[in-house]
Amino acid sequence: MSLLLLLIPLLAAFSLLATRHLPARQIALAATLANLAVTAIALSGFNGDGSFNYEVNLPWVATAGISFRLGIDGISMLLVLLTNLLAPLIVYTSFSRNFELENRYYGLVLLMTAALNGVFMALDGLLFYVFYELALIPIYFICAIWGGENRIRITLKFFIYTFVGSLFMLVALLAVYLKTPAFVAEGLPAATHSFAWENLVAVQLDASTAWWVMLGFFLAFAVKMPVFPFHTWQPDTYVTAPTGGTMLLSGIMLKMGIYGVIRWMVPLAPEALHVWAPVFLGLAVTGIVYASLIAVKQSDLKRLIAYSSIAHVGLIAAGVMAWNKTGVQGGMIQMLNHGINVVGLFFIVDILERRLGSRSLLDMGGIAKSAPKFATLFMIIMLGSVAVPLTNGFVGEFLLLNGVWNYNNWLGAAAGLTIIFGAVYMLRAYGLAMFGEANRQTENFADVDRREWIILGAVAGMVLLFGFFPQIILNLTDGSVNKILGAVQF
Amino acid sequence: MKALIILFLTAIVVLFAGLLKKRDLIQSLRIGGILAALVVTVMDLYQGNQWFNEMYATMFRFDTYALSFTVVALLATLLLFGLTRWGFRELYDTLGDHYALILFSLCGALCMFSFTNMVMLFLGIEILSIPLYVLAGSRRDDLRSNEAAMKYFLMGAFATGILLFGIALVYGATASFDLAQIHSVIVANGHSPQMLSVGIILIIIGLSFKVSAAPFHFWAPDVYTGSPTLVTAFMATVVKTAGFAAFYRLFSMAFIGAGEFWMAALAMISALTMTLANTTAIFQTNFKRMMAYSSISHAGYLMLAVLVAGQPGAAGAILYYALVYSLATICAFGCFLLVAEQNQDESFSAFNGLSKKQPFLAAAMALAMLSLAGIPPTAGFFGKYFLFTAAFEQYPWLVVIAVINSAISIYYYFKVIIAMYFSPETNAYEVFIPRGFRWAIAAGLVLIALLTIMPGSVYNLI
Repeated sequence: MSLLLLLIPLLAAFSLLATRHLPARQIALAATLANLAVTAIALSGFNGDGSFNYEVNLPWVATAGISFRLGIDGISMLLVLLTNLLAPLIVYTSFSRNFELENRYYGLVLLMTAALNGVFMALDGLLFYVFYELALIPIYFICAIWGGENRIRITLKFFIYTFVGSLFMLVALLAVYLKTPAFVAEGLPAATHSFAWENLVAVQLDASTAWWVMLGFFLAFAVKMPVFPFHTWQPDTYVTAPTGGTMLLSGIMLKMGIYGVIRWMVPLAPEALHVWAPVFLGLAVTGIVYASLIAVKQSDLKRLIAYSSIAHVGLIAAGVMAWNKTGVQGGMIQMLNHGINVVGLFFIVDILERRLGSRSLLDMGGIAKSAPKFATLFMIIMLGSVAVPLTNGFVGEFLLLNGVWNYNNWLGAAAGLTIIFGAVYMLRAYGLAMFGEANRQTENFADVDRREWIILGAVAGMVLLFGFFPQIILNLTDGSVNKILGAVQF
Repeated sequence: MKALIILFLTAIVVLFAGLLKKRDLIQSLRIGGILAALVVTVMDLYQGNQWFNEMYATMFRFDTYALSFTVVALLATLLLFGLTRWGFRELYDTLGDHYALILFSLCGALCMFSFTNMVMLFLGIEILSIPLYVLAGSRRDDLRSNEAAMKYFLMGAFATGILLFGIALVYGATASFDLAQIHSVIVANGHSPQMLSVGIILIIIGLSFKVSAAPFHFWAPDVYTGSPTLVTAFMATVVKTAGFAAFYRLFSMAFIGAGEFWMAALAMISALTMTLANTTAIFQTNFKRMMAYSSISHAGYLMLAVLVAGQPGAAGAILYYALVYSLATICAFGCFLLVAEQNQDESFSAFNGLSKKQPFLAAAMALAMLSLAGIPPTAGFFGKYFLFTAAFEQYPWLVVIAVINSAISIYYYFKVIIAMYFSPETNAYEVFIPRGFRWAIAAGLVLIALLTIMPGSVYNLI
């Protein structure tokens, strides 16, 4: 099952990249839908007690203790669900634009999907690292080939920034790996260390090693999320990337960082958590306030959402690093919801940009009159992002704030500003775009067509569904979160 | 051993066939010779080669280590020969000489993989180097090629002198040329006399010249840029592999118990090589010059394995790295040769818009660059990974420096990718791919892909 999730997009990707004449759109949509179906089947037979389902374990470099090992517990399942839920939507939104060299574009998106699925399922340290990096290559090409202004400089900065971050993770992984007890597996001549997740978790590090190891992991994940002050690549990259690339980056890829914290960083070096947690939480909360303040001032809608994404992710990071049950559970549910909301919002930006030729809020206004359906859908998704009760954002942010509050009241209070600021900048943007005086272009703003209706409808539907029934998600991850919190001793 | 004999005989026959101007005979002989040597070596690798090894025990031993590296060198030369039919198309009278010189040089490399005696090491280095001095200057009417040959020869002669002086001092201290005996004397003494220390330092300097490690690397950029591209590719792959195989063999077999003093020197050389080469490569605009600095930087990474000579995994790491690095370099030089010659431009801008004209070449080049940069999941990543793991426990700070350097290297390797994929076409020329190129480059890519999927198959050989 877990192997299928990799192989379907991988095969489709290579067939699209190697040839020129296949129907790229259809193949990409079919492959992502097939993956969604596989995910649904995996979900139906899922055992949520915290054990690893659908495990695959193949030797890779046996003499160095590296194996190709995949498995899905509740935490992984949620993110695999997120990836495969959003992938068809992202592919489908890309239909709205005609890309030069279309087969390459869809091939790279599929390659990205495979890599993301791999990241969330890998149970071998080195395999995780390989998938983590593999995800970077397609998104780099997507942004640099089909991106906007200054794309070459911006994407190279993005690539080097994130690559350097993850190299520190590699060094940290190596340090823990070399501390695992060497044992002789059957059929092997010499004893070897091991990259298996359980073995890495079992290692007891001394205080100073743990300090370095956690720092190494944090640098990698902080760049990816991004957490203040490692966020400087993010707004430019989001703005310059084509909409599909932005959705992949913000919807799924940044969750790699948060997932990494939960699965790898804290369990591998819990000895250093009490030293580092105040620093990490402080940075995350600073980022929330900082990014929100900037978002209020933005007139470019895409850049505004990029900054709002820093704020939302900062809150998730803070909640997760508080490392208590409410915080981590809030982080889990909010990862899914943020992914859904942000994909919806970026698609709305894409629609506005295609019709008006501009992303500036100053060129909009009065659209609600000419496009009521569009305005309603935008409203629902916007409210989800603001975290109004009964939308999906509410439960997650509430749990996260609760988790941060339990860790430290002052930090919790500061993080709570995110809800106020979120309401300010989102409502301001919505008001400027949808209400007020219509200008010549917005008077004739066409309402959603069928494709846009399907995509925005699906997103809005999920906003309401997970808003009314957050328990679906919480139940899915409950067993695994309990287990991982219990397994980590410090 | 059998491979050495086959190669030597092939070289002589090719030389005479060249005299008689039998071009077709040369073309089939060179491939046949390499293939025969390859088959024989692979058979030896699985069955052992007792008889020859006993007969020449004081000079060579073709153990697994030597045989594995022989396979690497033969594979690299075979792929290069796929490029030479077109690459050497303008050579008439000297075609036979060219192939014979390459084959002779390869014989020297085989000696450097298998020596058990300092004399054989010295002979191997000389057999490897002298044909290369000629090859570097083989474009007689090109000033830069003459410069390259002259520089290479002078520097090579100095290096040889220093190396020989070092060997003499080691002989003076241990009264033997034989690696095993040198080792036993060193172990029995428990400490190293001053003469031995000086000798080892001189040998390190001499070999560092040969593998172009800083601060003895100044010849490399000029020689790499001036030599004909395929000769440069040979230098960057087979010669570098041979240099490191010999370096590692010497230290793991002879000097391993000689104390810590040379470790510090080697660690400094490694750090300096990586850092200098990478920071200089960033500023290059000529692709060949960039590849020269890239090859110097890879010498710095490979030095990590020499530092931990004798530890489990170190020899395998060098072997794997050398193979992956050679394959990627040959693919890169092959693509570059086509683009540069048909466009009369050696700078990065020659690659502008290549992905639209020749997607295959662009993809090959991109994979080669990603592999050289060590980006997962390409085979180059596993090469770096094995080297870094081998050295991490003893030299964590050096591994951190290496990691930072591999991040810097992305910048210049990606210049090529950016030019091919993201820059608009600026050149009106068409790129045509001759038959041999397509095969050689495709074979290189397939091997890189296989090494990614099964890194253990090579890493575990020794």
